Amino acid sequence: MDLSWLTAVLLLIIFSLVLLILALLHVAYLTYAERKIIARMQQRLGPNRVGPRGLLQPIADVLKLIQKEDIVHPHVDRPLFAIAPLVSLVCAATGLSLIPLWDRFVLSNFNVGLLFILALSSLSAYGVILSGWASNSRYAFLGALRASAQVISYEIAMSLALLSIVLMAGSFNLQEIVKAQVASPFKINLIPQIVAFFVFMISAIAETNRVPFDLPEAETELVAGYFTEYSGIRFALFYLAEYYGMVVMSALAVTCFLGGYAGPFEVPGLPFFWFLLKLYVLLFFYIWVRATLPRYRYDQLMSLGWKILIPLALVNLFVTAFIKLMF
Amino acid sequence: MKLLEKILLIEIWKGLLLTLKKLLLDKPVTIQYPEKDKVIPAPGFRGRHALVRDPQSGDTLCIACMRCARVCPSQCIYIEYEIDAETKKRKVKRYDIEALRCVYCGYCEEVCPVNAVVLTEYFEYAGYSRDEVYFDKDRLLKNWDEFIATQKRPYLNPFWKPRGLPEKYLPVRKRNFTGV
Ligand code: SF4
Ligand code: SF4
Repeated sequence: MDLSWLTAVLLLIIFSLVLLILALLHVAYLTYAERKIIARMQQRLGPNRVGPRGLLQPIADVLKLIQKEDIVHPHVDRPLFAIAPLVSLVCAATGLSLIPLWDRFVLSNFNVGLLFILALSSLSAYGVILSGWASNSRYAFLGALRASAQVISYEIAMSLALLSIVLMAGSFNLQEIVKAQVASPFKINLIPQIVAFFVFMISAIAETNRVPFDLPEAETELVAGYFTEYSGIRFALFYLAEYYGMVVMSALAVTCFLGGYAGPFEVPGLPFFWFLLKLYVLLFFYIWVRATLPRYRYDQLMSLGWKILIPLALVNLFVTAFIKLMF
Repeated sequence: MKLLEKILLIEIWKGLLLTLKKLLLDKPVTIQYPEKDKVIPAPGFRGRHALVRDPQSGDTLCIACMRCARVCPSQCIYIEYEIDAETKKRKVKRYDIEALRCVYCGYCEEVCPVNAVVLTEYFEYAGYSRDEVYFDKDRLLKNWDEFIATQKRPYLNPFWKPRGLPEKYLPVRKRNFTGV
């Protein structure tokens, strides 16, 4: 009895470590992939100095960022200033533990998984607000307000889009959602829920502050935002959170809309194959969008969120509920 | 039609398609300068300064007329001369160019009546200290030697005979110059 409990805990720890390392590697090489792909789209080369084809570039970047001088202004609220990037990072990264990577690999398969992920991603607004507040600088504070307004607005549209998925599956449990999709006639939720998928993808891009919604970090026009006072590795943590957010959002999209780990056929020996394939396609999409689209203006961004995406998601939710009731 | 285009985000898809095409079909145009690709500046590129070495006397061609020092907009040419007691000719004692202040306008080489000073097409001369780009007379002559070794002779800088200026208005030494 005792022993099985111990092995369960040990297994959990090992699983978490595997997941953590895999996720960190993914995040690190996502930055590399982003630079390479965008470079090719703009007919440049991208990183090619460190290691063969620049493959060690992410590692070199990390080493550089750790060595960089850590400037902390004397008037900042020190504890909050230090905690804020971690809040962002933890909120962005924890979601991964709830995503079913495979029907036998999910760290915590619990009933309200989707709700929990949504809660975590709303919490990341705290990281933003805290960093702006603790910096004790008007620029950072205004930037934080701007960024959190954006995160909160798009949060609503995203939650509404995901709710229709919950209606389809009849459960908040992500594992159940995948199973419900496999059992459904279309195999993936993308086909009946294309509108929700559309709303979700756009909100996910806005949630993770990426182009074309990267107003929070529009360095070129606005002299950056909530992280103005941060430097070195602390600054990098915000970026790490952003990339983590990308991975988690893509994983969530794969789970909720693209049938999760289920594929048209089993690939022997590679249980994560379909999940990773779908994940990479979505991540590529993020990068592709970034290389293509220009930034929104702030009022355009807000009106897109409130006047188009939220009504659209609401209508979609009603239609879904209606159809569910009828059949 | 307009509405449908808007709803289906046609323009955005067009943009995405364009970048995808660039990714898949086009090659990078990056120049990998020191390692793979050699950059050859166009003739008449205004690079490191030099004083032309007279092939006969081995010294500079400069006659210390001071025109370059006077025309230089950033006033970075310093010349001192002495007058030879026998021939009554001027002789340059000191000729310095502070290249960090130079704006590479090329006026000095244009105005020189004897084509003594030149901005060479040599461009790889970045240094680690200010002294390395402060050129005195010896250094300027050495710059010339380094530069001319890379040239197919005779070398004739386009700024020595400026375009649009009738030949007859040029000083004699400039008019008759056929290159070094
Ligand atoms: S190029 Fe122009 S600025 Fe430079 S030394 Fe000659 S005259 Fe002066
Ligand atoms: S213009 Fe020519 S000749 Fe006159 S001082 Fe300058 S370099 Fe010498």
